[in-house]
Amino acid sequence: MTEFVTGGNSPHINTLRNIILKWAPLFVLASLVLLFPIFEWLEDFWRGKDHFYLIDSRFFSIRNASRIAVAATPGLMIAIGVTFIIIMGSIDLSMEGTVSVSAVIFAFVFIALGGTLAGWAWLAIPIALVVGGIMGFINGFIHVMFRVPSFMVSLAMGFVGTGFALVLTGGDRIRVEDELFRSLLTVRWLNFPIMCYVAMLALLVAWFIQSRTTIGRNFYAVGGGEELAIASGLNVSRVRIMGFTLAGIFFALGALMAVGRIGIAETATGNNFMFISITAVVVGGTALWGGIGGVLNTLVGVLIVNVINNGMVVIGLPNWLQDGVLGVLVITAVVLSTNRKTISFVK
Amino acid sequence: MSFKFLKPYFPWITLVMLTIIVGIANPGFFSPAGMIILIADIVPLLIMALGMTFAIYIGGIDLSVQQIANMITVITTVYLAQFGIWVVFIVIGVGALFGTLSGYVTTRFYVPSFVSTLAIGFVALSVAKWLSGQRALYMDATFRDNSFGWVFGKTWGIPHELIIAVVLVLLVWFLQTRMSFGRALKAVGSGELAAVASGLNVNRVKILAFCVSGIFAAIAGLMFSVKLSGGDAQLANGFLLPAIVAVLVGGTPLTGGVGGVINTVCGTLIVMVIRAAMVYLEVDATQQQMVFGIILIIAITLTIDRSKLRGIVK
Repeated sequence: MTEFVTGGNSPHINTLRNIILKWAPLFVLASLVLLFPIFEWLEDFWRGKDHFYLIDSRFFSIRNASRIAVAATPGLMIAIGVTFIIIMGSIDLSMEGTVSVSAVIFAFVFIALGGTLAGWAWLAIPIALVVGGIMGFINGFIHVMFRVPSFMVSLAMGFVGTGFALVLTGGDRIRVEDELFRSLLTVRWLNFPIMCYVAMLALLVAWFIQSRTTIGRNFYAVGGGEELAIASGLNVSRVRIMGFTLAGIFFALGALMAVGRIGIAETATGNNFMFISITAVVVGGTALWGGIGGVLNTLVGVLIVNVINNGMVVIGLPNWLQDGVLGVLVITAVVLSTNRKTISFVK
Repeated sequence: MSFKFLKPYFPWITLVMLTIIVGIANPGFFSPAGMIILIADIVPLLIMALGMTFAIYIGGIDLSVQQIANMITVITTVYLAQFGIWVVFIVIGVGALFGTLSGYVTTRFYVPSFVSTLAIGFVALSVAKWLSGQRALYMDATFRDNSFGWVFGKTWGIPHELIIAVVLVLLVWFLQTRMSFGRALKAVGSGELAAVASGLNVNRVKILAFCVSGIFAAIAGLMFSVKLSGGDAQLANGFLLPAIVAVLVGGTPLTGGVGGVINTVCGTLIVMVIRAAMVYLEVDATQQQMVFGIILIIAITLTIDRSKLRGIVK
């Protein structure tokens, strides 16, 4: 819902502004990682305790890094999904509903098929992914076929999804206690739980889709200039629907991670993912206008969001501050990534 | 009698037909006493939807209304003892502040309204959590009755809530149709570039629209808080969906420019009738959200003005 006027910088030209924008998220992440230990050092210095900067930090430790990684994993999957959409210049706000539905259906099927990954219950995983994909497909289909702005379709679909999950569960929580499935969280390699490695694998797949497949390049083509994409013969409608479907699959993956992390599937499984994932994508440097950024940016963005949340707790700031800080952060990120010379107004 | 001619009347036709259907199935629906209770129950939603109408009328959206209402329930509960009825001014002031902030960020910083209002909503959530200490707060019954007891009274059988609603509707109707601000809103909603070209201060109009939305969300929060005699950071959750549904079902499309507050009154009544029907049909409460979500998708699809989207729908 943005109107552009012609002219201005292309994101692919290496002006100083574009170079700064490209590296800013990584710079912010590094600064944050170095910043929080300073507060810890100051606190101990105040109390007269011995504290060697970074070495004695509770924040800057493997244990805390693993904690951040675990907290970030479900959000990372969801943010990767929405990255594809934002690259196309659209937006998907349905993640809360899609995650809840996928999580609940996963749990039902998992338990119905025996309740252990060692048996047939592994089928619940592909089924959950298919459910996510279907939700995404419906999203994309309505968006493209009825020509309705994506933010509104997906917002409504999110409500439908949460409502559907509520109908399925009747408000109950479903426990998934299979040891093998929970080993996602409980088994650690090199201090990090398996789910972090699964997430890295998913990130790799997403990166491959984004940069080494036709559909991935088409996302950028649509986001970079839709008229041009249409003029060059691209079936934009198909690309959009595929994008939303792909996003749905990644949302479902996020749902699996969320269930693996808590061991419970419920209507509230998807809560709060919408704002956090959008914030992460935008903060990572994928512009809302589409065409720039990618899944690696999203990794940085997710880490920034989680480092802030975690760091604020470690240095003892009250947790009510987090929502507000994220709110300010997302506005700042959008403002910084917007080239005001090329935009006349937004809705 | 072409489709185009009929289109503006669709919401009203829908409302009448729904009412008749529900009434035939359940004749008790038409009892004046029951009807008045139903309508009085929906007043906070109506107020929130009235404000939201302004944001949607200019082609934007305000996703912060629910969080603002949440925050206001906390503010009302915390400051009622100290300020009594004058807490109304704090409520309106805070609502105006947050709405203006959303508008300012949207227009001056070019942040699309769905992101800016979402973000401002989370700032409001922070404030609510901070003020409430993340607990559910309750009002002192005497303070509440002294200051706001009259809201729940009746004059000649008409609940005062309803009178408040009518006064507010008249106010926004006047604002929309009889003041230059209303005409400016129409201009911005119909075509922003044309409005800019004709020398209108579009940014100011848009900021004001979000400001009105914030104020009404705040008043809705106040009503809600007084009604439930308390406040917490999640009290008004679940209001966003029906509020958007009420505006869109009433016939103000996402693209803005047509419709308006009277349409929203109609939309809110439709929401009310649907809810009453669901209660009568014994549709489980858990299904309401799904039903309204689907209604929302249908309403958007039917009302949106595709000629304004200029070929590309993002």
